[in-house]
Amino acid sequence: MPAEEMGKVTDRMRFVFAVSSLIFLAVLAISPFKDYRREWKQYKRSYLRFAQSRPDTKRLTADYNPNIDQIWLPGMNVVDRCTTCHLGITQASLADKSVPQPFRAHPPIPHNVREWGCTICHRGQGPATEVAEAHESTLAWEQPALPTHFIQASCGTCHQADLPQTPQLAKGRLVLAELNCIGCHRLQGIERPAMLGPDLSSIGTKVSREWIYKWLKEPRTIVDKDGNVTVNGVETEEEPRMPKFRLSETELRALTAYLSVQKAKLLVPYKISPAVVVAWSKNPELISQGELRFRQMFCSTCHSLAVTRAGETKLIGGDIGPELTKVGSKVNPDWLISWLRDPEAYLPHTRMPKYGWSDEDLYKVTQYIATKLVDSDLLTNVPKLDPPSDEEIQTGRRLFTEKGCASCHAIEGLNPQKDFGPDLSALGGKNASDLEFGTAKIPHNLVSYIQAKLQDPVSVNPAARMPQYNWNQADLDAVTTALLSMNGAPPTSALQNLVVPRKEAAFHPTGSFAEVYERYKCYTCHKFNGYGGNLAPDLTYEGSRAQRQWLVEFLKSPQTLRPTLILRMPQLNMSDKDAATLADYLSMVIQHPAVNPAGTDARQFTPAMATLGKQLYEVKYQCQSCHTIGGTGGYVGPNLNNAGGWLTPAWIEAWLKNPQALVPDTIEPRRNFTDDEIKAMTAYLMTLRAGIKPQKTASDFGLPNSALGAGR
Amino acid sequence: MRVRNLAGFAALVVIALYGGSGCRKHAEAAKADPLLAAYDSEPDWTDSTKMIPLGYQQAQGKRVFYQYCVWCHADATPAGPSNRSNLTPVPPLLNDGATLNAESDEYMQNIITLGGSALGKSAMMPPYGRTLSAEEIRSVIAFTRAIAQPPYQPPGRPGSQYSAK
Repeated sequence: MPAEEMGKVTDRMRFVFAVSSLIFLAVLAISPFKDYRREWKQYKRSYLRFAQSRPDTKRLTADYNPNIDQIWLPGMNVVDRCTTCHLGITQASLADKSVPQPFRAHPPIPHNVREWGCTICHRGQGPATEVAEAHESTLAWEQPALPTHFIQASCGTCHQADLPQTPQLAKGRLVLAELNCIGCHRLQGIERPAMLGPDLSSIGTKVSREWIYKWLKEPRTIVDKDGNVTVNGVETEEEPRMPKFRLSETELRALTAYLSVQKAKLLVPYKISPAVVVAWSKNPELISQGELRFRQMFCSTCHSLAVTRAGETKLIGGDIGPELTKVGSKVNPDWLISWLRDPEAYLPHTRMPKYGWSDEDLYKVTQYIATKLVDSDLLTNVPKLDPPSDEEIQTGRRLFTEKGCASCHAIEGLNPQKDFGPDLSALGGKNASDLEFGTAKIPHNLVSYIQAKLQDPVSVNPAARMPQYNWNQADLDAVTTALLSMNGAPPTSALQNLVVPRKEAAFHPTGSFAEVYERYKCYTCHKFNGYGGNLAPDLTYEGSRAQRQWLVEFLKSPQTLRPTLILRMPQLNMSDKDAATLADYLSMVIQHPAVNPAGTDARQFTPAMATLGKQLYEVKYQCQSCHTIGGTGGYVGPNLNNAGGWLTPAWIEAWLKNPQALVPDTIEPRRNFTDDEIKAMTAYLMTLRAGIKPQKTASDFGLPNSALGAGR
Repeated sequence: MRVRNLAGFAALVVIALYGGSGCRKHAEAAKADPLLAAYDSEPDWTDSTKMIPLGYQQAQGKRVFYQYCVWCHADATPAGPSNRSNLTPVPPLLNDGATLNAESDEYMQNIITLGGSALGKSAMMPPYGRTLSAEEIRSVIAFTRAIAQPPYQPPGRPGSQYSAK
C-alpha cells in the first residue's frame, strides 16, 4: 500500500466495516433466538398449550414457572431437572395413556417422586436439560436411563433384603446364588456358602474317567429329539448347575486323568446280607418292588426323573438334588450303596438326609436304579481312555485351578485361586468406557454388555474363562437386573443410612434334637426361625399348631395334607425314638409366643356348638370352596378330614382370628368372625377325626408344585 | 470481490448458528420395544404368543393375583390343577372381559373387599378387605383391566389428540 493512501478511508473499507457490523448484529440476534428455541423451553410452552386444552387448566398450571425446575437432594448427590419437561408427573388427571409424553403422570409407586427425584430409580443424567443428554449415553455421561424392564435393579441398590414388589430382582439374586456365581465372582449381598459344587476329593471312587469326560464336555444329559426339555410343564433350556466349559481334547484328557485318581476316602463296600440277595435276586418282582420303594420314599421330592409322553420330555420331581434319569449308568454300584446308607460320610455339607435302610430296601432300590435308571448310549461318544499317565495327571491338576474348577469344587490339598473372576459387586455403577466390548457389534451400554457377556462370554472377550450357560430370556433378564442392582457401596453416607439390610436368621438347636435334625436334614426343606429351605411348611410355630401325637405319627408315616402337592415329605424310615425326640422338641420349644397349645380347653365344646360351627362352615362362610372334608370341597387349602386329630384348638382359634399373624404369607383371607363363631367352628373342626390314610397322590394331578407349600 | 465477501458472511452466519450447539454425540435411538419400557408383562391368556406389557401397578396386581386369586379365577395354576372346576357357580376367569368389563372399578373393589355374600353373590368368594390393602386390591383390578379379552375400554372422555411439541 502506497504511503499517501495510509489513513485514508476508502469505499472498500467502508463496505467491509458495514458487512462486519451486519454480521455482528446477526450473531447478537441469533443468540436470544437460540435461547428461545432451547429444547426445554419448547416443552414448557408446549405444556402450557397442552394445559389450555384440558378442562382442569388451572390446577395443571398452578405450580408452573417458566424456568428450569429441579429436585435437589444434597445428602444423596442428586440434582434432577427432569421435572423441567416432565411437568405432569404428580397430576392425577394426566395418568391416562392418551396423555403425550413428557407430560404424563408418574404411575403410583411406594415412593413420592417429588421427595426422591427421578435418577435414583431411572438413572440417566439428572442435571441435563436436553432430551438426549438426560436419557442417553453421551461422551460426557455414560450412564443412560435404565430401560423400565430392568428398573427393579434400582430398588435393589437400597433394598438389599428382597421385596415382594420386585419379583424379577429377587429371582435374579436367587439364580445368581443357585448357579454358584459366587464361586468366581464377588457379588454384593450374596455370601459364599460352605459348599458350592460337590467336593471331588474322592470322585474317583464314584464315577469312571469316561463319565467325567462326557460330563465335562456336555453336562446336559436329558433332552428330547428336538433338544428340548420341559421342567414342571414349562419348556426350558434345562440349566444344570454345572455349566459348559470350552475345553480342548488335551484339556479334557488331562482333567479326567486327574479327577479319576482322586480317592481321598477309600470306598469300603457294604455287603448286603446274602440271605436278602438270595431271597430277592431271582424274584421277578424285584425291580418293580424297588421302583415302588423309590416312589414311596419320595425321592422325587428332591430328585427329578425325565418322563417322555407323546414325544415330549418332562422332568418330574424336585431340583434340590441332581436329576437321576441316567444315574445307574453314572455311579459305581458299591459307591451307591455306601452313599445311600450314609451320605455325609462321602460328602460333608450334603443336603441329602440319612434314611433308615433295611438291607431288603437297599437291595431293591439299588437294583431298580442299576436296571431302570440307565442309558446304554450315555458314553458312546467318549473316546477310549487309557490308564492316566503321570504327565496327564500333573497337567490336569494345574488345569483344575487355572480353569476355575477349584473355585467351586474342593479337592483335598488344593488351593483355589483367590478372586478367580472379576469383582462384580459394583458392576451396576460401571461406565461403558470401563467395559471391554471387543469386536462385538452391540450398543455400547452396560445392559447390552451384561447380556452379551452372559449369553456368550467370548463374544466380548475372546480370552474369557467364563463357562457357557444356556439362559432362557426370563432368567437372563432377572440376572441382568440383579447385577445392575449391585452398585458397590452406596454413594454417600446419607444414602447408606437408608440401605435396608438383609435379615440375618439364626437357628441353633442343641441337644438330642439337634443330632436328629442334622441327620435328617430337616432344614433342607423346612424353615425354622427364618433359617432353612422353603419347599415345605415353615415349622417355626409347629408346636403351637400340631398335636404331639399327630407329629409322631406323621414323622413315621408322612402323608401330604394338600391334595395338589406332589413334592411330599420323604418317608425317612424314622425310628420311634427319633420321631419322639423331634415331636417333643417341636411341641415344647417351637411355639408361637401368643399361641399356647394347651391354652384352649377342648372340654368346653358342646355338640350344639359343633352343629352351629358346621352350619357356619358349610352355609354362611362356605369354607368348602377351598377345603375338603370327606371327599367334597376345594383343593386350595389343606384337607380337614383329620383336623381334630391334627390341630390344637388354640391354633384353630388363633388362625380363624387372624391367619396372617401366624403365617404372614398364607393365602387364607382374614375374616371378620365373631368370637362365638370362632368357638363354634373350632368345636366343629375338633370333631373331625380320621386315621391317617393315603390321600390322592401326586401323580393323580400331574405336575409338581411347591407354590402352596409355604403356608401348609 | 463482493461475491467473496458475501460468501464469507454466509459462512460466519452458519458458524454462529451452530456455534451454540456445543459438542454433543447423539447416541443410538432408544429401542421401541414396548416390553423393554414395561415393568413386567403377562402372556395374553387367549394367545400365549402375545405379551401384554404391564406398568408398576398392574405388575403388583399380577403378583397379588398369582398368590391369592389364581386358584379359582384361572384354569391353570402354579400348582397345575385349578380349583375352578370344583365350584358352583363357576367363578369368572380373570380375563373374561365379556363379564368383567361391564363392572365398574368401584363394584370390583367392593366385591373383593367385602366378599360375594355382601353383594348378593356366592359366599364362596371370601372377603379380602382384611387381608389385602385397598391399594393391593386396586392393583388387582388394574391387572384385570390390562389382560381383559375383549379389551377393556375405560369409561369417560376419549383420549386427547394433542401431541407434545
